Amino acid sequence: MIFTNKTEQLFVWIFFPLALLLPLFLEQNVFYINKLTTVLIFAIFVMSLDYLVGRCGLITLGHSMFYGLGGYLFFMIAPEYEAVNFWVYTFYICVIAAVIALLVGVIVLRTSGIYMIMITLAIAQMCFYFFSDSIHFGGNDGLFILMKPDTSLFGLAFFDLDNPIHFYYFCLLSLFNCLAFWKLVLASRFGRIMDAVKNNPDRTTALGYNVFLFRLISYVMASALASYAGYLFALQYGYVNPSMMSWQTSGSALVMSILGGMGSIYGAILGTAVYSGLHYIFEHMTEHWLLPMGLMIIAMVMVFKSGIAGFIENWVERRK
Amino acid sequence: MDFAIFLVQLLNGLQYGLLLFLIASGLTLVFGVMGILNLAHGSMYMVGAYLAWYFTLHTDSFLLGALLSAVIALALGIVIEKTLICRLYKRNHLDQVLLTIGMIFVFNALQSLLWGNDSLGVDVPELLSGSIQLTELVAYPVYRLFVAVLCLVLAAGLYLLINRTRLGMLIRAGESNREMVECLGIDINRLYTIVFGAGVMLAALAGVISAPIASIVPGMGEHVLITCFVVVVIGGMGSIKGAFVAALMVGIVDTFASVLFPAVSSMVVYILMAVILLIKPQGLFSN
Repeated sequence: MIFTNKTEQLFVWIFFPLALLLPLFLEQNVFYINKLTTVLIFAIFVMSLDYLVGRCGLITLGHSMFYGLGGYLFFMIAPEYEAVNFWVYTFYICVIAAVIALLVGVIVLRTSGIYMIMITLAIAQMCFYFFSDSIHFGGNDGLFILMKPDTSLFGLAFFDLDNPIHFYYFCLLSLFNCLAFWKLVLASRFGRIMDAVKNNPDRTTALGYNVFLFRLISYVMASALASYAGYLFALQYGYVNPSMMSWQTSGSALVMSILGGMGSIYGAILGTAVYSGLHYIFEHMTEHWLLPMGLMIIAMVMVFKSGIAGFIENWVERRK
Repeated sequence: MDFAIFLVQLLNGLQYGLLLFLIASGLTLVFGVMGILNLAHGSMYMVGAYLAWYFTLHTDSFLLGALLSAVIALALGIVIEKTLICRLYKRNHLDQVLLTIGMIFVFNALQSLLWGNDSLGVDVPELLSGSIQLTELVAYPVYRLFVAVLCLVLAAGLYLLINRTRLGMLIRAGESNREMVECLGIDINRLYTIVFGAGVMLAALAGVISAPIASIVPGMGEHVLITCFVVVVIGGMGSIKGAFVAALMVGIVDTFASVLFPAVSSMVVYILMAVILLIKPQGLFSN
């Protein structure tokens, strides 16, 4: 069992069955299915950020760059009027994003702390302006996907990208796989060294580990998965636009991750779900939804010292 | 580019840079002394601009409006520090990020609730509304010169305050060792309140004086915030001298880039920052 923590097990056993059953109640309502799918996709993105910030101590405000790139890369490499294979292009996009992350990582990981926050932001902003000012990539309006990829594997079509319920389940599966992936990484020897790197880089260096290399590998993994989430988002709505790369996207992902409980990985799902849920509710109550949202965030910082996950964990501990 | 146009752009760049310094100095002061990363700093600039618009409209005097706005901003800063920020000194940067993002949301909402989402403008005060003839064809507005001079005066004042007064000495002491300052019997919390209030007032003041030359629009705070972070990081977090040099650099580079390379002008400032951080990862004047 990779889910070692009691609260985490509880969460996995409640959340995933619930998420599996939800579409049965919403069968007729494509709008809600689509909304929930977006939340699942964003949770994959937030989770990769959660690993990077919470478990590696690498605070980035430019993670949205990879989220956006996931969508734009598809346009760059896929032919415009031909349906390509989903799995092959998923692989391509993740690999290209990983290569870009490797190059960016070599630069940004030279710095640390607040300087790393700023240099990641700078690179993401450059990328944002590159796409929003360019004519080839649709500028501010973004681009539309004319042909969605075909999902057959070995001649068998498992699911249809245009069917919202199929896509919902696919994203749920992706989210579960990502959660399992990060837990496996953390449980491995690599993950334990990464913990050491976060807690005391100097001592870890003294023990003979190449801290820079471990950080770089983590950065590449998280960026590739962020791109995967961006790719899924682009496929869901059939378009990409530069706002996916804006610093606000990074900022809100960071808020969700802190809200969920930084570094708990499963907290990313909680944070994304709670934030998106509140956003939806407030947006329907008033056009000035930012006010209750902002007050809620402020209240949560004051009340939850280590996010929602930390709050629940404390509560479970106390009940023992 | 002939000399007159070059001169005008240089003046524009300097004036923009000095305005950036006014905002960035508060940001870097609050970070350097208190260790607080205030993402809502840009919102204070926005609040300043809106307050200036509101009071100028109701008092018919820009000077009176500006003074009222500055006083209200100072009070706002003190209230925010006393109610919210003071609870976060012992928490990490991420909690501060979360809190100040929440504050950005609240200020943006209040702005659209109170003043709507239309673009607003303030008239240049009559006394300063003329322009100076640089050459036969090129003139330069007096108000922009006034902004530059006012920023320079404030910068000089800040320099004297920090290097020549008792309060400045405490600020410098708090920056290098806060426990020691407390041990010497100084009420560090009061110092923090003063610094935060002053930081907010500087940002709001920048908003006030740029109100007649910039359009007052929703989201103006965020744009300025990001640019100011660039300035603060280039200069070295916590360094006022660094912020001054970096602000002028960013102001001039940004102004010339939008004239010379309009296609990539929005990227140039970030490229500048990336290059500088590659050469000096801690900024130009880090302590």
